[in-house]
Parts: sequence; C-alpha cells; structure tokens
Amino acid sequence: MIRLVPNHALKIVRSAPVVFTFDGQSVEGHAGENLAGALLRAGRLHLRNAPANGGPRGAFCCMGLCQECTVRIDGQVVEACRTEVTQGLAVERAG
Amino acid sequence: MIYDTAIIGGGIMGCGSALRLAQGGQRVIVLDQGDLGQGASGVNAGTLSLQIKRVKLMPYALKGHACWEAMGKAVGFAKTGGYTLAFNAREAALLQERQTLKAQAGAPIEFVSNNQLRNGEPNLTQQVVSASYCAEDGYANASLTGQYYLGKLRDAGIEYRERCEVTAIERDKNFKLTTPQGTINATRILLAAGAWLKPLAALMDVHLPVQARVNTVTVTERMPPLMSTVIGHATGLLTMKQKANGTLLIGGGWQGLGTPQEGRGRVSVDTVRPNLALAQYAVPALGTARILRSWTGFEANVPDFYPLAGVLPGVEGAYVLGCVRGGYTIGPYISQLMGDYILGREPELPLFDPGRDFKEGTI
Repeated sequence: MIRLVPNHALKIVRSAPVVFTFDGQSVEGHAGENLAGALLRAGRLHLRNAPANGGPRGAFCCMGLCQECTVRIDGQVVEACRTEVTQGLAVERAG
Repeated sequence: MIYDTAIIGGGIMGCGSALRLAQGGQRVIVLDQGDLGQGASGVNAGTLSLQIKRVKLMPYALKGHACWEAMGKAVGFAKTGGYTLAFNAREAALLQERQTLKAQAGAPIEFVSNNQLRNGEPNLTQQVVSASYCAEDGYANASLTGQYYLGKLRDAGIEYRERCEVTAIERDKNFKLTTPQGTINATRILLAAGAWLKPLAALMDVHLPVQARVNTVTVTERMPPLMSTVIGHATGLLTMKQKANGTLLIGGGWQGLGTPQEGRGRVSVDTVRPNLALAQYAVPALGTARILRSWTGFEANVPDFYPLAGVLPGVEGAYVLGCVRGGYTIGPYISQLMGDYILGREPELPLFDPGRDFKEGTI
C-alpha cells in the first residue's frame, strides 16, 4: 500500500500497558483505551451472537448505538465501545 | 402570490389536508416550524389499534386503518393483529365493557380463550385473566411519516417550507402570515399544528382550550422473537410491539415532563419505570432486555377529548384540525375530510365543530 501521509504511529503516546481477559483468555491493551478497539486490535472480532439467529456479531457503529459489541462485565451487559480497558478487567461474551 | 390555502403544521393532519386540497385544484403551501412530520406524527409509537380507539371515533379509525394499509411499505405498515390483556377481575370487567362497545361500533374485536392466546403469543405471562383480539390491528413506523408525506407533497407539486415558524397572522382581505422566510399571503388558512394550536390561535385572539400530553415511548435492544402481534393492556397503559429487527417499542401514554412552548419534552424515570414494569409483567422474558432510548412526543387534546375539525371560531376563512384522540391512526383519513370541507364539499363523515361547548357529553 502507498502511504500518502507520513507514518506517525511511533509518535503515539500510549498509556500504561495492561492485561485483561476475554472469555478467560489474556488480551493486552492500554489503560483507559476503548475496549472494542483493544479487542479489535487483538483480533477478537466476534463479541456476541445475534439474538434472533445466533450469528456472529461484533463492533459496528462504535458509538454506543448498534449494540452489536455488547459484552458482559461483572454480570452487566455493556457496550464494549463505551467501556474503558483496565488492568484485570474480566470480559465475557454476553450471549 | 396569494395561495388558496396556507397550512400551518406539516404533520399528518397538515400534509394530508394539503394533498386533498391540491387534488381539488387549490394552490396550497405547507409551513412547519421544524421539519415535516417530526412532531407527534413522527415520534409516536406507531400503534394502529382499533382496540384503543374511542367508540365514537371508530368509523374514522376504520377508515384510517384502510388509509395506512394503502400507504403500505413506505410507512412500514404491518397488519399483525393485536391482543389486549387483563390481569385481574377488575381489568377483565373493564376490558369486557370497553371492547363490547367498540365491537358494536364496528371494530372486529373478539374475546379469545386462554388456549388461543397461548398459541398466538406463547411468551406472554401466565397471569392473563382475559384477552381480546383484533385481527385488523398492527403498526406503522412513525419515523417514516415525514419522509412519506414529503415525497407525496413533492409528487403533487405542493410547496412547503420547513423551519418556517409563523409568528404573526394579520387578516384584512387575505391572511398575511409573518415567517422568518418572508410574508405568506393566502385566502384561507388551516391551523394543523398539534400541540402548538393554542399559541397559534392566540395570534388571532382566539382561545382554543388545547392541552398537551407528554407521551413517552421506549425502545429496547434487539431481542429474540418474543411477540408477533401488538400487545396492549385493558387500562390502555401499555402498547408493545416487536419490530422486524428485533427491537421492541413500548408505550402506553405515560407522561414525561415539559411543555410544547419549551420545545421538546423530557423523559421522567418515575413514569418510564412503571411502564416497563407493566411490559415486563406481560412478557417476563423482557426482564433481560436493555433499554436503548426513551423519548417523548406531545399529544394535543381538548377537554372533551374529541377532535377540533372545522371553522376556527370567529375568524372567517380560518380552519383548524387537530386534537384527534388516536390521531396517528385517524389522521390520514380525517385530513381528507378536512380538505373536502374546505373545498366546499360535504365530508363523508361529520367533522367536529371547534366552536362547540367542550363540556363532557356534547358530542
């Protein structure tokens, strides 16, 4: 791919690295980053199953509307795209 | 440029009347303070149920249903049938009394056995004491109202102006309407501004005893299939339906906060909570459903809860249409009647004199 703008990736200042779990498996992220984003970067795209037919679903709108990225944390169903990553956060598929 | 009729209010009532008047050869313009179909016409729960219509409005509701069916896909029309539930003996008596009168008025409402109900809606609570069913019931998608009528106005070549609030009305030979987009001149005017009818009529020193209810609607996240019909409650305090995408719309006339003069209303958690509790009582599986949004819309009414549809008292050439209980269902039809009346034709069904005495029982 031709890069049309300079690559600034190395200049991004990341917050502290943290480890959280998704369905019991460790995932690396950064404190305070968006959970949907951290899961996406870790290659975890399948976040829940569609209520009507059970098909795989994942982050779509990334702004708290579509409800396709909902996961379960501490027994509560929450939108991954509106949840911040913290050290030791235990994230499960909601259903 | 002098329009034959200027219509103030671009909801179902105003747009429907405009279409009829244009068909009758009039040059009309529709003015809305916001966007077309974004008031009550666009934010209500979309229920088309004969089971919750007033007995004396039933002939209008039946005709209205036919209008919605004809509009079809473009407005998200679905004829699903609907059940109205009673959870105890008192509600069952209320249901029996109300539905019998409505059936006599022409609505195809029947009482169903517990088995029929279970087969029809297996996810309902076991606590239903009695239930009525109407095969004609269903819903449309209120959020499509504005889009639909906008297209219709354009097809008919009818002028409309959005974000065009009328701030003054003068009457000499013609009506002169002051708006941010200039003065509009018209031979007649039709006030069709829903919950804003009172301040509008007041511009001509006419007092209309219009009050606004602040009805609340809630939508859930997508759920597995839980119901296939429109579900209501004997008291009228619940309407519920599941859309094709799995979300559920829950209403029932629970009151939010605010007034039309202040702009949009606000949701009150104190009324949303019992609304949802009743919904969850009817369909226990809703216990796990998360709420996406709740919102409000203003429903206008007068003290006798019958429509205003006719001549604005004391102002020649001015007409008013609004305050129709069940206005979403009935609007497309009663606006045709209003159009006919302004065109000097005899309406198919009688209108409702806005100059009447509003004490209970005059209609």
